[in-house]
Amino acid sequence: MIKRVSVFLCVAILSTFLLSTQSSAQKVRGVTDTEILIGQWGPQTGPAAPWGAVARGTDLLVKIINEEGGIHGRKFKYFLRDDSYQPAKTKAIAKEFVEQIGVFAVVGGVGVACGMTARDYLMENKVPWCGPVTGVYEWITPIQKYLFAIYPLYDDEAFNLTGYLHEKLGYKKIAMFYQNDDYGKQGVMGVERYLLKKKISLVAKVSAEVTDRDLSTHALKLKNSGAEAVIMWTMPTHAALILAETAKIGFKPQWATSNTLSDSALMMQITKGLWAGMINSFFGELPDSNHPLMVKYREWHKKLAPQERWGVFYYAGIIFAEPFFEGVRRAGRNLTPETWISAMETLKNWQGIGPPISYSKPNHPMDRQGGKHVFYGKVKPDGNIQRLTDWMQITK
Amino acid sequence: MATDGILKVKNIETLYGLIMAIRGVSLEVQEGQIVCILGANGAGKTTILKTIMGLLEDQPDKGTIEFMGKRIDGKDAEEIVHLGISYVPEGREVFPELSVEENLKMGAYTRKDPKGVKEDYNRVISHFPILAERKSQWAGTLSGGEQQMLAIGRALMARPKLLMLDEPSLGLSPILVHEIFRIIKTINGEGTTILLVEQNAKMALKISDYGFVLENGRIVAANTPKILLEDEDVKEFYLGIRSEESVKGYQRWKRKKRWR
Amino acid sequence: MFGQLIVSGLAVGACYALLALAMVIIYKTSEVLNFAQGEMAMVSTFVAFTILDAYHVPFLWAASLTFLFAILLGIFFEIVFLRQAKDPTVLGLIIITLGFEMILMGFAGWKWGPDQRSFPFPVSNVETYDIGGLLISKINFWTIVISVVLMFILFLFFRYTKLGIAMRATQQNPLAARVMGIRTKWILSFTWAISSIVGAAAGMLIAALGVLDPPMMMDPLLKGFASGVLGGMTSLPGTAVGGAILGIIENLFGGYISLAFKSVVAFAIIVLVLCIKPSGLLAKHYVKKV
Ligand SMILES: Nc1ncnc2c1ncn2[C@@H]1O[C@H](COP(=O)(O)OP(=O)(O)O)[C@@H](O)[C@H]1O
Ligand SMILES: [Mg+2]
Repeated sequence: MIKRVSVFLCVAILSTFLLSTQSSAQKVRGVTDTEILIGQWGPQTGPAAPWGAVARGTDLLVKIINEEGGIHGRKFKYFLRDDSYQPAKTKAIAKEFVEQIGVFAVVGGVGVACGMTARDYLMENKVPWCGPVTGVYEWITPIQKYLFAIYPLYDDEAFNLTGYLHEKLGYKKIAMFYQNDDYGKQGVMGVERYLLKKKISLVAKVSAEVTDRDLSTHALKLKNSGAEAVIMWTMPTHAALILAETAKIGFKPQWATSNTLSDSALMMQITKGLWAGMINSFFGELPDSNHPLMVKYREWHKKLAPQERWGVFYYAGIIFAEPFFEGVRRAGRNLTPETWISAMETLKNWQGIGPPISYSKPNHPMDRQGGKHVFYGKVKPDGNIQRLTDWMQITK
Repeated sequence: MATDGILKVKNIETLYGLIMAIRGVSLEVQEGQIVCILGANGAGKTTILKTIMGLLEDQPDKGTIEFMGKRIDGKDAEEIVHLGISYVPEGREVFPELSVEENLKMGAYTRKDPKGVKEDYNRVISHFPILAERKSQWAGTLSGGEQQMLAIGRALMARPKLLMLDEPSLGLSPILVHEIFRIIKTINGEGTTILLVEQNAKMALKISDYGFVLENGRIVAANTPKILLEDEDVKEFYLGIRSEESVKGYQRWKRKKRWR
Repeated sequence: MFGQLIVSGLAVGACYALLALAMVIIYKTSEVLNFAQGEMAMVSTFVAFTILDAYHVPFLWAASLTFLFAILLGIFFEIVFLRQAKDPTVLGLIIITLGFEMILMGFAGWKWGPDQRSFPFPVSNVETYDIGGLLISKINFWTIVISVVLMFILFLFFRYTKLGIAMRATQQNPLAARVMGIRTKWILSFTWAISSIVGAAAGMLIAALGVLDPPMMMDPLLKGFASGVLGGMTSLPGTAVGGAILGIIENLFGGYISLAFKSVVAFAIIVLVLCIKPSGLLAKHYVKKV
């Protein structure tokens, strides 16, 4: 009798064990019958806080999709965490996402250094990551199966912008003003790569530290270089400071800059109008664009988040999330990281309000670089943009 | 003792945290007199003056202090200065990086009568002509004697009715000590009542009208200088005159027996 | 280029000096390094901005109201935070200022958001005066003028007014000050008020020179601290000169040696001065006699 009972118990325990492992193997982290959990970090406080709007813009898109009924019967639950632009915090947030919340994927994420502390951890845990909010090589080299970059590469963007200034507008004396970190340096890389090809060199290369607040010397150096055009790769504060300082000493070159400074409403305001005349590259539709998606988003924005300013950083949060949701849509009801990746790899020149996005099976780094296009515009004195070109491919 | 004293301290106890530094002291100062409190280091002399001056928060813990018929215990220093008590702290405590003139100006901080202040300034200068010479020099650069004069002068700038001096002779040469005591006497002669704390009993008793002897926070003797000067214990412990041969232990025992 | 570097160095130096003066006024009284100084100034500047933005009053009006706010902010901090510390050590007080700094930073982020704004200062930040071939921007010129005037007022106040002398007296010997009938607690609050005003003036000038956003004072505060150290943290004229010297050295270093290391100059100066002459460049010494 005892023997039979114990055998029965053993079988029972064994079978529950087997069954449970079987069912947990089927379970996908962050996906239930009704919900999909996703997360994003972003600086809501600290010096980089203006970029914190990105993560809040993503929140708007999540709300819109949920309002429209979700995707394949599942709604999204979005976790936004403030890392204050401090990499140590970002890493802790990534751990929280995976180990405590258990998200299906990470979307967006501002900051090179911040993202770098989380990259390897997310990849080891096979967490899909769509659209880090910086255009550096770190996201695609070495190539990562679970990481899909969107942001056009700064290097190629700068290369192309320099070409535009040189070939289309005929400037020969070009100077560079940049932020002395990964972001600024990849801008310099592209500018110099282009100029090297043309066998000319920068007439001045002036850098500022992130914390600098006095750029008078920087302005003098630029002026003394005699540059006709200056390309800047900085954050908004420095852009405003350098324009004021150069204006003070009567230096008025043609300025050109990256799409990181394409929030012209903000820039016009903080430069007291000096921003007019800027040649700017853009990676997304203009704020007042008639693109049907833009019209739709703006309406939802008014309804769901009227307290937010409809600025470029804010709706960039939509741009970096759109392809993720398209991937979820294409993956169908059976959503796993693997099905999502296969679905993402079917995107070919797919376009929301950002650049056309294409991915392929990961053989070459560029197979994971989704955005390869920008367009140029010139800031008009009223702050609106005069579009100079159509979408142009900058990354081959 | 007469009862119309300008300052009446009754049974005060003062605590530093849990330590009782003043253990039930009563004393009285008659208007126009010089009264001295004698006592060894640590006896509690400074503590008494600070208690009167309202410098020790929430003290005295027990007892009362009356000045010109008004209770002043529990009042803060600024009010007490206003009522007419000035205090020359132990070790001068001048403002080292203020000029001599500015130091004197601070002495008159609570006063609103510029004319009177001017008069008192001249009076101070007449007592201490050296201060006029050093007028724009930083007080920290004065000699010890000059600083003491400045401290006294500064206290006089408030035109006090009662001037309290805490060991004015400390660290000064004998000649300067004489000079300072002479001036104290003069100031008293001009109508300011003086409460003087000293270890230098001989000098203090010489100019005083009445004296208290303080030990371990208690008054152990109180009398006129003449009688105090005759007292065996005062002689031995404060004047350095040893009485007849006796065993030290016995002396100490005897003294304790008498005074406690 | 040399003249230009000197002029713009003087203008930022003047701002550093004002901030440093604000810090030194506090430091002299309580040996506390007020790390909240920058954020107090930043919040005050935001208040000025809000007044100007919402009510379109003349700038001087807004500035006066801002100074009033700065006074209240300084007194509030002293009474509500610092005075509550039981048996405070200097380190403890410094940590309280750090805490207040974070509170203000968080408050500004919440109240005004992280976006940069331009500060509507009545002087253009791009127009220039041409003085014998040397271009001086109007904003630099007026920054220097306003700073010098403010410093001069401060100097007169501390030198000649009864209250000013009483503040110095309290700094030098709080016990003796109480014996004189000076309400030292009141003086301490007042010190915070003055320091806060000076800081607010610096904040408005710095915002006018650049842009207004919550982190705008982080770098200037460090530079202000370096200027204060140059002046020995005790002497007001020394501090003013320290600010001017720092502004000029920084600019010359950036102009002729290395821009990338320009902002390190301030650190280097702090370390050097603390090692070689901690009493500051212009400190007078007196030997305490007994
Ligand atoms: N701030 C203080 N905290 C604790 N104890 C004190 C303090 N000041 C004085 N005392 C103690 O109180 C007693 C009386 O001191 P004090 O009044 O300075 O003596 P005196 O002036 O007669 O030399 C001494 O035992 C001294 O150690
Ligand atoms: Mg004493």
